[in-house]
Amino acid sequence: MKKKIAMTAALMMTLSLIGCGNTETAETTEAVASTEETVAEETASEESDLTYVLNKGTLVVGITDFAPMDYKDENGEWIGFDADMAKAYAKYLGVDVEFVEIDWDNKIMELDGKTIDCVWNGMTLTDEVTSAMECSNAYCNNAQVVIVPTDVADQYQDEASLTDLSFAVEAGSAGEEQATALGLNYTPVKAQSDALMEVAAGTSDAAIIDSLMAAAMVGEGTGYADLTYTIGLNKEEYGVGFRKGSDLAASLNNFFAESYADGSMMTCAETYGVQAAIVEQ
Amino acid sequence: MELFLEQFPIVIHALNIGFLQTLKLFFVTLIGAFPLGLVIAFGSMSRFKPLSCFTKIIVWIVRGTPLMIQLLIIYYFPGLVLHNPIWGGGETGRFFAASVSFILNYACYFSEIYRGGIQGVPIGQTEAGLVLGMTKNQIFFKVTLLQMIKRIVPPMSNEIITLVKDTSLARIIALQEIIWAGQAFMKGSQGISGAIWPLFFTAVYYLICNGILTVLLGRLEKKLNYFR
Repeated sequence: MKKKIAMTAALMMTLSLIGCGNTETAETTEAVASTEETVAEETASEESDLTYVLNKGTLVVGITDFAPMDYKDENGEWIGFDADMAKAYAKYLGVDVEFVEIDWDNKIMELDGKTIDCVWNGMTLTDEVTSAMECSNAYCNNAQVVIVPTDVADQYQDEASLTDLSFAVEAGSAGEEQATALGLNYTPVKAQSDALMEVAAGTSDAAIIDSLMAAAMVGEGTGYADLTYTIGLNKEEYGVGFRKGSDLAASLNNFFAESYADGSMMTCAETYGVQAAIVEQ
Repeated sequence: MELFLEQFPIVIHALNIGFLQTLKLFFVTLIGAFPLGLVIAFGSMSRFKPLSCFTKIIVWIVRGTPLMIQLLIIYYFPGLVLHNPIWGGGETGRFFAASVSFILNYACYFSEIYRGGIQGVPIGQTEAGLVLGMTKNQIFFKVTLLQMIKRIVPPMSNEIITLVKDTSLARIIALQEIIWAGQAFMKGSQGISGAIWPLFFTAVYYLICNGILTVLLGRLEKKLNYFR
């Protein structure tokens, strides 16, 4: 029995030692890697993100299926205002473009892990986004709107009437920010579409989602014919996100300015019916 | 109803593509985890202490952490920590990363089932082999292994059926399996938005698939009955 206890203790000690050893090595390699990187960055400008993408020859764009910004046409091609602008930007850089569908929750990991080069998907420029990513200038306006069942919509036309409702909002979204700011009682869910399902199923009284999305997803002729949107809670703007410290953001701003000046951005916006929301560059 | 009939073929097409990805991951995991599980089982039964300790620690880590975290670590770690995104951002890379995670995870569970199966074969069987002058290898492959297979079919069936459903976890690294495909219609895809039924309809695919598997595994069990 004593022997067994001694062995277990020994095993546990070895385990904890292994644990320590691992973290130490991981930390040192990380430290070495990061010093190497800074040295490289200092000595040669080749290490910049722009050159990384140019050398690679492909701009990998992280998106989700989000009409009218990024969605698939009948042939499975990615189109939409954001997708078309991303294609034009890749052409401007002289590289190929590759669209990759990502899990929106993991966008920062995808960027930092270099599995994608930018997030270009009607992303609202919130404090969280701008602190974790290098963002372009805003290019499109948006608002957060309240979704309620149509039959009770007339009761909820101002902010004061919202306090008794239970809300569903996408975790980490601009909608959640609004719900917190107004002190609303809410449940965070995985996606804006899940928030809509909560309202449709009656598990939540209301939801807060993007106005562009609301226009496409609720009301007559959609799967949520019994829902409608009432008041807009704030104004907000869309931007494109890059890795923190990336010089691609500045490059994209130049491209936006050029394409706004020559009218190609507006032409593209008109194709997808978002011309009213475009921000002057 | 008209809307539903219009949506049905589009949704089914998308779900079929998603389910193909689910099945691919399922079969790749089985093909990889069956042999790897046996290797790990030998490792943990080894009389060489450091080896058996090492494998037991691996099994403890893999079984002791959620598969979802393992997927995230295996997919994002190389790029985040080592600054070398070995998997790449495309669909193939995501599939490989998911396969590696699933094979490792399931091999560890399988290894324990194998171990139980091997150790459950009465010692008399091995002794009988020795008396007959068989070598150690002969005894293992011709006596122990066959009887082990019979013993492990019911617990393995359990794991295999769980695996079909666990593949849905791979959507955390944006592998577009069937649940991903079903969910896409909720927020809008191919002109259908706000459709809830495709997500619930995916359950039918899982049910049919697991129904077929249950029948097949049941038959296998019957076939192996002659060992009694």
